[in-house]
Amino acid sequence: MNPRRVGSLFWKELAHGSKTFMFIFALLVPIVVTLVVRLLLGTIFSGKPRLGITDLGESQVLALAREIDSLVTRQFSSDSELRLAVESGAVDMGLVLPAGFDQQLRKNEPVEVNAYLWGESLLKNRIILGSTIVFLLREVSGIEAPVEVVPITVGAGQTLSWEERLFPLLVMVTIVVGGTMVPATSLVEEKQKRTMRALITTPATVGEVYLAKGLTGILLSTFVGVLVLLINQAFGARPSLLILTVILAAAFSATLGLLLGTLTSDINSLFTIIKGLGLLIYAPAIVYMFPQIPEWVSRIFPTYYLLAPIIKISQGGASLSDVWVELAILVALIVLMVIIVGWLGGRQAQNAE
Amino acid sequence: MNWRIVWTLVRKDTKLFFRNRFFAFVSVLGLFAYIGIYYLLPGSVDETIKIGLIADQIPPLFEDLQEEGLELMLLDSEAELEQRLLNGDITVGYGLPDDLMAGLLSGSKQQIKVYFSYDFPEELKDAYIILFRELVFMMTGQELNVQADEVLLGQDMAGLQIPPRKRMLPLMAVFILMIETMGLSSLISAEVEEGTLTALFTTPMRARELFVGKGAAGAGMAFFQAVVMIAATGGLRREPVLILTALLLGSLLVTGMGFLMASGSRDLMSVMGWGILAIVVLALPSFSVLFPGLFTGWIKAIPSYYLVDTVHKVINFGASWGEVGINLLALLGLSLAFLLLGIVTLQRRYR
Repeated sequence: MNPRRVGSLFWKELAHGSKTFMFIFALLVPIVVTLVVRLLLGTIFSGKPRLGITDLGESQVLALAREIDSLVTRQFSSDSELRLAVESGAVDMGLVLPAGFDQQLRKNEPVEVNAYLWGESLLKNRIILGSTIVFLLREVSGIEAPVEVVPITVGAGQTLSWEERLFPLLVMVTIVVGGTMVPATSLVEEKQKRTMRALITTPATVGEVYLAKGLTGILLSTFVGVLVLLINQAFGARPSLLILTVILAAAFSATLGLLLGTLTSDINSLFTIIKGLGLLIYAPAIVYMFPQIPEWVSRIFPTYYLLAPIIKISQGGASLSDVWVELAILVALIVLMVIIVGWLGGRQAQNAE
Repeated sequence: MNWRIVWTLVRKDTKLFFRNRFFAFVSVLGLFAYIGIYYLLPGSVDETIKIGLIADQIPPLFEDLQEEGLELMLLDSEAELEQRLLNGDITVGYGLPDDLMAGLLSGSKQQIKVYFSYDFPEELKDAYIILFRELVFMMTGQELNVQADEVLLGQDMAGLQIPPRKRMLPLMAVFILMIETMGLSSLISAEVEEGTLTALFTTPMRARELFVGKGAAGAGMAFFQAVVMIAATGGLRREPVLILTALLLGSLLVTGMGFLMASGSRDLMSVMGWGILAIVVLALPSFSVLFPGLFTGWIKAIPSYYLVDTVHKVINFGASWGEVGINLLALLGLSLAFLLLGIVTLQRRYR
């Protein structure tokens, strides 16, 4: 193994590979998915009723509405803009507050407001919005509620928001797409274009070519993985341990990619295998989405050992002593994969000669 | 036009398509998956709030609200309420003191317990606390001096909400059509890579026969799968001819796009790159059906909008030819334009 040759092969991979579709796909998809999930979970999937307000004066209602967590409140500059938003379903209900509204309300003078209701809004959203608007108006008028409400939580159990449930899947996609797909497609393309044979007729060995491709996958996967963790503010209290775990997870993915690339001879077969294996690869992340499924189920799948330590460190604040068993199994899996890939790759090179 | 040559080309491409394991596998799997997903999605919308009340009797005012989306359940004890909450039978529970009305009339502040299950979203609790406060205000007869002039915009769907699975149908149709387009582009790309396209041009076959053949094969496969999916999900029960016309025009549109993608691609990986980009862009209008109000008027600039809007209006609102006629005309115009553009671009590149 010559480090200089590995280095130049690695740079070649980076220089040429970074222009390929799969490289750009692996780089962009996790970031775009992260941003879309955060946007959707914060608004559309939140289940909150949406209220639009056009304030023609200087009412306090808008500011008070924004303080209520159970609503999504949006401001519109004109009556027509608000009407369009309600018509399209951007908000469930729209309220036009006339100038001097608060003063009239406080003086208990009769006041008229325009309200728009979207025909497709759910009945429960209509009830909640209706009561919340009246509550806001009472707040502005200074009328005190005749009741004191005491919230009580019943039962105990693990509560996970959809953001938390989807996070492991996002981490898994990030690590696997970059770590597995890039080395696998690169290896298959070398075979299809017959450049692999040309490469191994140079002083470079099969092992060096594989190592360079694997390193590219590890670098890309680690980079995007860390970026996604940063965007999700999920770096936890032990960033160095987390980065080390991400590197190990990326290494496992890269060896999986090299194995798939070794076993397949064309892109079509590669994608077919990846499609077929998809459920097995992502199974631990799917189990995380449903807390009702016992955790032991996900332990059956090898990819559990790359995902679990990342989630435990980033979301559970785990230390090395908490995750060392999973990390040790992950290292063992990487060593096993390296042996298998080395053996298969060596056999293929011999056959090629 | 020699139709025998065209037919031979269609048969050859159909065979080649199924020989391409990736696209054939994805197509068949996708079709089953779409139908399976459709039936797994909720078939109805629960738009009511189920409230458990610990009280001697349901206050008369609460009873009046039952028609407006509140479902009330009178419960005997706190233990029963807790059990109902944990079972998911009720959304929220309210514990009313025995002498609530008397207390309210005397002007003393009453204490009300509001029960939530442990997995109830924290950020939504405020809504149910406010709801109860306002119900009590209504019981006391304290009304605000505000007159609301309420205007209902669009068809009132209260009690007739469109279930998520029906909203998903246009998205599924666009996905199926586009996946087929990737298949067509890959066929053309493979012909270019293997040099068979040049060989084809040396035969008596003329360019227009080649494109009609390729187009018919691509559009036919896309159309057939979209029809199978829509039929299996019950989408052909209303205005079947109208739905079939929209899907046929949609198939022609994506075939034109397939030609364009093939003309801009060097190999299968480029087809995938362009294909995924096209799927993302063309799927956007479907999201405006899934999440109304997500996009503004610019969404109409995306050609698939006219297909999505037609399928949505016909299946979910029972729209007639007259109501979606403009959409169909726009779809026809765009399909012909894309087909022409695709053919010209492809011809210029490979002739």
